[in-house]
Amino acid sequence: MILRTAETVDAQRELAAIVGSENCIVDPAELRVYECDGLTGTRVRPLVVVLPATTEEVAGVVKIARRYGLPIVPRGAGTGLSGGALPVENGIVIGLSRMHRILEIDFENLRMRLQPGVINLDVTKAIAAHGYYYAPDPSSQSVCSIGGNIAENSGGAHCLKYGFTTNHVYSATVVTSDGDVVEIGSPCSDAVGYDLMAALVGSEGLVGIVTEAVVRILRTPEKTCTLFATFPSTDEAGNCVSGIVAAGIVPAAIEMMDKLAIEAIVKSTGVDWPLDVGAALLVDVDGVEAEAEHTAAQAVEIARASGALEVRTPRDERERQLMWKGRKSAFAAMGRISPNYYVQDGVIPRSEISLVLREIADLCAREGFRVANVFHAGDGNLHPLVLYDGRIPGQAHHAEEVAAEILRICLRHGGSITGEHGVGADKAAYMGEAFSEADLESMNFVRCAFDPHAIFNPGKVFPTPRLCGDRAGAYVPHATEISEQAGRG
Amino acid sequence: MIADVPIREIVVPATLDEAAEIMRARAARGASVSFMGGGTDLGYGNSPERVDTLLKTEKLTRVVEYAPSDQVVTVEAGLTLGALQKTLAAENQRLALDPPRSELATLGGLLATNGYGPLRTRFGTLRDLIVGISIVRADGTVARGGGKVVKNVAGFDLPKLMVGSLGTLGLIATATFRLHPMSERREWHAVATRSLRDVRTLCRALLDRRLEPSAVIALADANACATYVLFEGFGAGVESQGAKLREVARDLFGGNVSRVDARGGVDAAALAEGARTYGNVRLRISTPPAFIPSLEHDILAPLRSAYRECRVVLYPTIGATFVGGFPREGDRFVSALEGARAAAEAARGNLVVVECAEPSLRERIDAFGALPDSFPIMRRLKERFDPNRRLNPGRFLGGL
Ligand SMILES: Cc1cc2nc3c(=O)[nH]c(=O)nc-3n(C[C@H](O)[C@H](O)[C@H](O)COP(=O)(O)OP(=O)(O)OC[C@H]3O[C@@H](n4cnc5c(N)ncnc54)[C@H](O)[C@@H]3O)c2cc1C
Repeated sequence: MILRTAETVDAQRELAAIVGSENCIVDPAELRVYECDGLTGTRVRPLVVVLPATTEEVAGVVKIARRYGLPIVPRGAGTGLSGGALPVENGIVIGLSRMHRILEIDFENLRMRLQPGVINLDVTKAIAAHGYYYAPDPSSQSVCSIGGNIAENSGGAHCLKYGFTTNHVYSATVVTSDGDVVEIGSPCSDAVGYDLMAALVGSEGLVGIVTEAVVRILRTPEKTCTLFATFPSTDEAGNCVSGIVAAGIVPAAIEMMDKLAIEAIVKSTGVDWPLDVGAALLVDVDGVEAEAEHTAAQAVEIARASGALEVRTPRDERERQLMWKGRKSAFAAMGRISPNYYVQDGVIPRSEISLVLREIADLCAREGFRVANVFHAGDGNLHPLVLYDGRIPGQAHHAEEVAAEILRICLRHGGSITGEHGVGADKAAYMGEAFSEADLESMNFVRCAFDPHAIFNPGKVFPTPRLCGDRAGAYVPHATEISEQAGRG
Repeated sequence: MIADVPIREIVVPATLDEAAEIMRARAARGASVSFMGGGTDLGYGNSPERVDTLLKTEKLTRVVEYAPSDQVVTVEAGLTLGALQKTLAAENQRLALDPPRSELATLGGLLATNGYGPLRTRFGTLRDLIVGISIVRADGTVARGGGKVVKNVAGFDLPKLMVGSLGTLGLIATATFRLHPMSERREWHAVATRSLRDVRTLCRALLDRRLEPSAVIALADANACATYVLFEGFGAGVESQGAKLREVARDLFGGNVSRVDARGGVDAAALAEGARTYGNVRLRISTPPAFIPSLEHDILAPLRSAYRECRVVLYPTIGATFVGGFPREGDRFVSALEGARAAAEAARGNLVVVECAEPSLRERIDAFGALPDSFPIMRRLKERFDPNRRLNPGRFLGGL
C-alpha cells in the first residue's frame, strides 16, 4: 500500500512541471514495468518514475526530491542482475532511457562523449565502420546502457585483456545530491586531485546520477583468431586455461562451458557442438596479425596437450560469430533444460577453477540440484546456474540458499562475492562476510563524500542501513580552503 | 626535511602491526604524520604545513603472497619496484610499470604519487594494475578494499581511489597487483622525426596501421625531436611490427628507422628516464594527444626560455609531457609557469609541479593549479578519512 499524502501529490506536480507530465509516471499499471530490474523475483512499486531529457532536468528533479525528502533510485535499461535499480518504496526512480544521444566522436583523441542512456552496443556500432570499437562488452550489450555499465563497472568476455568499464571512462558529468552539476575526472589522461572516477565507476547508483560520460575507444585489432576446444571434463579444460596463461599468452577471452551448459546451448541455438563432452572452451586471441596467428597456433597446441578431444577453428567470420552466439545465449538457453534457474556470480583465483567446480558440483548434488556452469575462465569469474523448479514449493528459496553457499565457497578460496553483476539489493547481506566493519566504514566514507544526505539508492550495497552522520572530531580547514580559491564549484 | 619543512620525529616500523600501533599513538597525541618510501618523490606537491612524525616504510618489504599461476602478487608498501621485479622475473612475470628510479621507488610511494613510465601506453597506470589494498587510516584502523582476484566489483573501489592520493587519506600498508607475462622479445626503434608535428603524425599512422606499441617516447629539444617506439611480444609479432614501422617512417618522413638497444649504446628507456629526472624543478603537463603539435609553440617554447637548461620528454600516445631543468631567476620562471599552466588548462589539460627543490620558488608556486569543480567532493572525502587533517596536511591539491 502506498500512501499518497498531500505532500507527495505536490511533489509529483512539481516533478511533472520539470519533465512534462507524459514523462512523469504515476499510474500503477504503467509503474509495473519499473517495479524490478533483471532480478525479477523482487519487486517494489515506486512513488513515481520520471524520465528526464537533459542534465538540467535531472538536477531539477534531484532538488525537488531533496526538498521533499524522497529517496532516488537511478535506472538505466533495467538489466542489472542484483537489484541495483530496484525501486525504494515511496521513492523516485529517475530513468535515463530518454538521454540516449551520442554527443561527440573524437577519433583524434580516441574519445566519445555519450549520454547515459546510450546502449552499449550502439557505441561500437557508431564507430565500427571507421575501424574503432568500445571494449567493455557485457553479454547484455545489446540492451544495457552506458550509465548502468558505469554504475556496475560492467565487464564482458573480453575484459580479460582489455579491462572493465573502469579502465575505459575518462570523465563524467554527475548530478550530485544537492542537485549540482559536477564534472568528475578529466578528458586528458591525468586528472588532478583524488581519483573520483575510481569511486564513481562501480558505485551502483549510490553517489550521483551520471548524465554524460567521456569514454575511451580503441582501434579494432588487425586480427582476431578464435578456437573452440572440447574436453572430457572441466579438469582438463581448467588445465588448458592455466597452460595458455603460463605460456605468456594474454588471450582476449577464455570462456568455459560445462556439459549441462553445452546441452542447453545446443538445444536452444542449434550450434553443432558435440554433446558427449564434459566441457568446452571458447578462446579469442587478438592483436597484430603475426602475433595473433602465432599465439593462436600455440593455444591449439596447449589445448591438445591438455587432453582436448577436438579443437575447431572457424573457417570464416560467420562461423566465428556463430560460436560466440552460442556462448552469449547461454543464460537464455537454460530455459530449455530447466523451468527456472538462479544465476550466481562469484570469483575465485584462476588456478583453482577445477577444484572449486568440483566443490560446487558436490554441494549441488548433496542438496538435490543440477548446476550448469558457463563463465569467464580467464579471470576466474564463475557463473554457476542453479537449476530448479519454481512450481515446487520451497525450491526457489532452497536454490537461493545453495547459491549463497556457493559464494561462501568462493570466499573461502580467497575470491569475491561478485565479479560483474554487482552487490545491489541482492548481495548486500553478504558484504559483511566479505568485508570487515572497518572496510565497510571506509566505503561508506566514500559514499558520504559524494552524497552526504544519503538519498541515492538507500538500502543497496551496505549490509545494514548507514547514514552519513556526524564525524568524529571537527575538521580543521586549510587556509586556502577558507579563502576564495577553494570555494569554487 | 621534507620540502624544507623540519621533521620532529622519524619512526621506522618493522611490521604492519607496529605501523598501525604508531598511527594510533600519533592520533591520540594529535601529531601530524607524513609517509616516506624510497624518497624519490618527496618534493611532489606543496610543502606540508608540518611534519610531526615521518613514518618510513623501509622495513615493510615483505612479499606477502605471490601466486604465479594466478598472476597476482601482494606486497608490503615499502618494497621497491626493482626488488619486486626481481622476484617476479624468476617466474617470467612482471608488474607492467616502468617509472623512473624503479630501483629506489617503493610500491607505496608509487601508488601515492601515481608514478608511471612509458609502458602506460599499453598497460595503463597503477590504477589499472592494482586489485586490492590495505590501509591504516588516520586513527590507526586497518581497512581493506578490493581483494586478490583480478575481477571484482564488491563494494567501492578503495584500491584505485588511493592511487595518487599522496599520503593524505591513510598509510598504504599492502597492495595486490595484477601481473603480466614477460615478453619473449622486446625491440626499441628510433624514428627520425623532426618536430612534435611529426611525432603526432607518426602516432596517428601507427594507430591507422593497427600497430600496437607498448611504449612511445619523444625526446624534444628546441630544434630537434627523436621518437622511440617499443614493440613487445612474441618474435613473429615484434618482427612484423618493426618491418611495418620502417615502411611507415619511410612513407612519412623518407627517413630511417634503426633498431636501438642498450648494448649498441642507445638505451631509449634510460634516455627518457634521464630526461624525466633531470634538474631540480620538474613539471608534468597533461593534454589531449591531438594537442601535441601545438605544444611547442603554446607551452614548451615559453617554458624553455624560463629555464637556464632543461630537457623535455613526451609520452605522445598518452598526452603526457615532462619538463625538467634548472630555472632562471624567480619572477621570470613564475610567470612562464603561469602562462604554460593557463595554456594547458585552455586545452582542457593541466600542469602539475612534480618537483621543486628551489626553496625560493617553492613558496611562490602552487603545485596543482586550478581546483576542479569536483573539489568539494574531494574535501569531504578528506574530512571523512582524516577529520583532524593530520595526514600530510597541506601537501595536496587545494591544501588538502
Ligand atoms: C542476459 C544478461 C546478461 C548479462 N551479462 C552481463 C555481463 O556479461 N557482464 C556484466 O557486467 N553484466 C551483465 N549483465 C548485467 C547488466 O546487464 C549490467 O549490470 C548492466 O551494466 C546494467 O545496465 P542497465 O542500463 O540495465 O542498468 P540498470 O539495471 O538500470 O541499473 C544498474 C545500476 O546502475 C544504476 N544506474 C543506472 N544508470 C545510472 C546513471 N545514469 N547514473 C547513476 N547510476 C545509474 C542503477 O541505480 C543500478 O544500481 C547481464 C544481464 C543480463 C540480463
